Amino acid sequence: MSAWETVKDNWRVVLLVFMLVLSTVFLFAPAFDSTANAAAAQENPTNLKYGLQLSGGTRIRAPLVGVTAEGVQFGNQSTAEVERAVAAELPNADSADVIARRTAGSATGTVELVADNATQQRLANALDAAGFEYETVRDGVTEATREQTVAVLRSKINAAGLSGGTVQTVETISNEHFVLIEVPNQDRSEVVDIVNSRGTVQIAAYHRVTRNNTTRYVNTTVITQEDFQTVGTAQQGGQGTGPHVPVSIKPSEAERVQRLFVQTGVAGQGGTDCSYRQSPQSTEPCILVIRDGNVVSSFGMNPSLAQSMHNDEWAQDPQFILVTGSFERAQAVSIDLRAGALPAALALDEGTTSSISAAQGENFKRDSLIIGLLAVLTVAGVVFARYSRPQVAAPMVVTALSEVVILLGFAAFIQYPLDLSVIAGFIAVIGTGVDDLVIIADEVMAEGAVNSRRVFESRFRKAFWVIGAAAATTIVAMSPLAFLSLGDLQGFAIFTILGVLVGVLVTRPAYGDILRALLTDR
Amino acid sequence: MARFEVPEVDYTRYSNRQLAAIPLVVLTAALLVIGGAYATTGAPVDPGLDFTGGTELRVAVDAPSDAQARERIDEAFAATPDSVQQVGGGDVYVITFESTEAEPGQLEAQAEEAGFTIRSIDSVSASFGSDTQRLALLGVGVAFAGMAALVFALFRTFVPSVAVVVSAFSDIVIPVALMNLLGIELTLGTVAALLMLIGYSVDSDILLNNSVLRRSGDFYESTYRAMRTGVTMTVTSLAAMAVMAVVAGVYGIGLLASIGTILVFGLAADLMNTYLLNVSLLRWYKFEGVAR
Repeated sequence: MSAWETVKDNWRVVLLVFMLVLSTVFLFAPAFDSTANAAAAQENPTNLKYGLQLSGGTRIRAPLVGVTAEGVQFGNQSTAEVERAVAAELPNADSADVIARRTAGSATGTVELVADNATQQRLANALDAAGFEYETVRDGVTEATREQTVAVLRSKINAAGLSGGTVQTVETISNEHFVLIEVPNQDRSEVVDIVNSRGTVQIAAYHRVTRNNTTRYVNTTVITQEDFQTVGTAQQGGQGTGPHVPVSIKPSEAERVQRLFVQTGVAGQGGTDCSYRQSPQSTEPCILVIRDGNVVSSFGMNPSLAQSMHNDEWAQDPQFILVTGSFERAQAVSIDLRAGALPAALALDEGTTSSISAAQGENFKRDSLIIGLLAVLTVAGVVFARYSRPQVAAPMVVTALSEVVILLGFAAFIQYPLDLSVIAGFIAVIGTGVDDLVIIADEVMAEGAVNSRRVFESRFRKAFWVIGAAAATTIVAMSPLAFLSLGDLQGFAIFTILGVLVGVLVTRPAYGDILRALLTDR
Repeated sequence: MARFEVPEVDYTRYSNRQLAAIPLVVLTAALLVIGGAYATTGAPVDPGLDFTGGTELRVAVDAPSDAQARERIDEAFAATPDSVQQVGGGDVYVITFESTEAEPGQLEAQAEEAGFTIRSIDSVSASFGSDTQRLALLGVGVAFAGMAALVFALFRTFVPSVAVVVSAFSDIVIPVALMNLLGIELTLGTVAALLMLIGYSVDSDILLNNSVLRRSGDFYESTYRAMRTGVTMTVTSLAAMAVMAVVAGVYGIGLLASIGTILVFGLAADLMNTYLLNVSLLRWYKFEGVAR
């Protein structure tokens, strides 16, 4: 028999070997290593990507706070006017809590209420009071808001220097939308701190006004998030100022900002001394940095800055520093200003969070490897005890293992993050794989020796009907898990199904060929 | 090396009624257990943290003895943990709070204050959990219906198909009843295992039906042939899953431990259901049902 004919006769085995070589390349060849830096490559000898469970990190899955009214009749009012009108009807809400969006080319649109205490009833009442007609009110926010929130969350995570973090939206089968945030190598509390605040920052003037013969202090908003031209990183600062964030104002807004500071008395002659913390009812005018409704810091204006505002010079070069009192607050303010405010906040109390330390990830990695190896050894033990002939049992174990190698190669190729559920899938694949190999072996060896190719082929085909049927039921049973977003089990289902497919199409037929070569006399 | 041979059972000594009696009694008992649980708690099986909401912390506690470590854990948290489990005889403990009243941020702060090293925190909110529960039930239902439809399409005869579907049903019901009796909670891992069982457990039934219906030869000969292969298959999987359940349990990897445990229950149930229930139904069909 010529070499070519041998290859042709055993093409299934050739295919298996080819797949194994390919998988090995994907697994180990540095060219396919996506981790660019050398240090990471050394820690991880394979190209496998590990999920948070095995490498450590934090995952947060939560819906966004908010209710939406659809089909609201805007008439000829602008979205900003609608937002103000609706917000005016809601106590404890400002226009940042109401988002109006016009449906392109129509007089209708959506109005979302994204305040913490948003309910369908509150939004409906406010729309009625403001005189807007609408079709329906539902829970949840619009897709546009969701996308903007994801973009802001991404830039917040980047601004905080958390590398490798990802943010995406996921949709459940019941049409609920969740935001999924994954940040490697970070504690739960750090990530929650960053994503849990909406991060609206505004700069207000705190000053005295006299109305109807009574004098009291009020906040006048001077600068909002959109007014900043540039925002620097947090600075430690020297003596005097202390930790701060350098900022500059858009030229178009500079005149207005300057005028407001002068009018409110903050830019008073000779600067202002702020004693907001100690004596809020008797202080000179102050600048307040307000983040999510809380006063982060209060400070006066130094004489030279106040002078340049008075002289109408500051607006030519509108920059100053935001004094924050502590470096941590300077960082938080800087991140919020640069990333922007979240259109809608995350409802952490309606979602899940999961955080694993790097050390625990290492333990899980080691432990699950041991569990996998023990499972393989057990299978091998039972198979050898059942078939005392090593030429039947040994290829069986090797074939089952090669299914796992092919799946690992595939996982490395598509960079699927390995988690405990995927490992469970691998162990399940070994289990089903050996089951089918047992069917093939028993069928082929039934009723006496296999001494001709014809006998072998016919028996193999009969065995294959059962294997195909069994594979189909496993795929049908696992597919709900692969499509339902049942948390961490998608990986388990996907890899079990893939394993069954690889088994039926590649490895199990190859085992048949190997068995034939070992059992038939030519 | 120990040899493992599948014994030949002399089915002619038993009537169909006798064969089917045992699995049917077990199935009835299992249904009663589940029904009882449903009547008393409103759920067929005690739902775990994934479905009720709650927080699970894994912390390393520096203490000279297990008892002292537990004492320190009790002192550390304001809320009372629902369970405290030591992992693999080391200093790591898995602490579960099954109510969402204890906010995960607070628990984290309390654990840090007590000087524990936090290895992992998982928290699920109550509303997310109840959604997951609905999805899980839907998933199991769809998977079972899909499997049943496929079995009918494969065999295209009523009685043998029903035999497979009834066996598979029993294979799922028995582990769920055992979960109730042994106090194992329903987790995502156990749901995955139940779905896995739907796929796994029909393999040996399909093998048996195929051997008896589609192959030549006498009924008992075909049954024995299918049984020799089927028992080998099931025992192999069962051994692997038992090892996984035990080792993962020692390491405190809940997901793998629960998948392993449920599959061990289900595969053991499958041995009984396939070779007592399915065989008796097939024999009735082959000798009496066809003749009608």
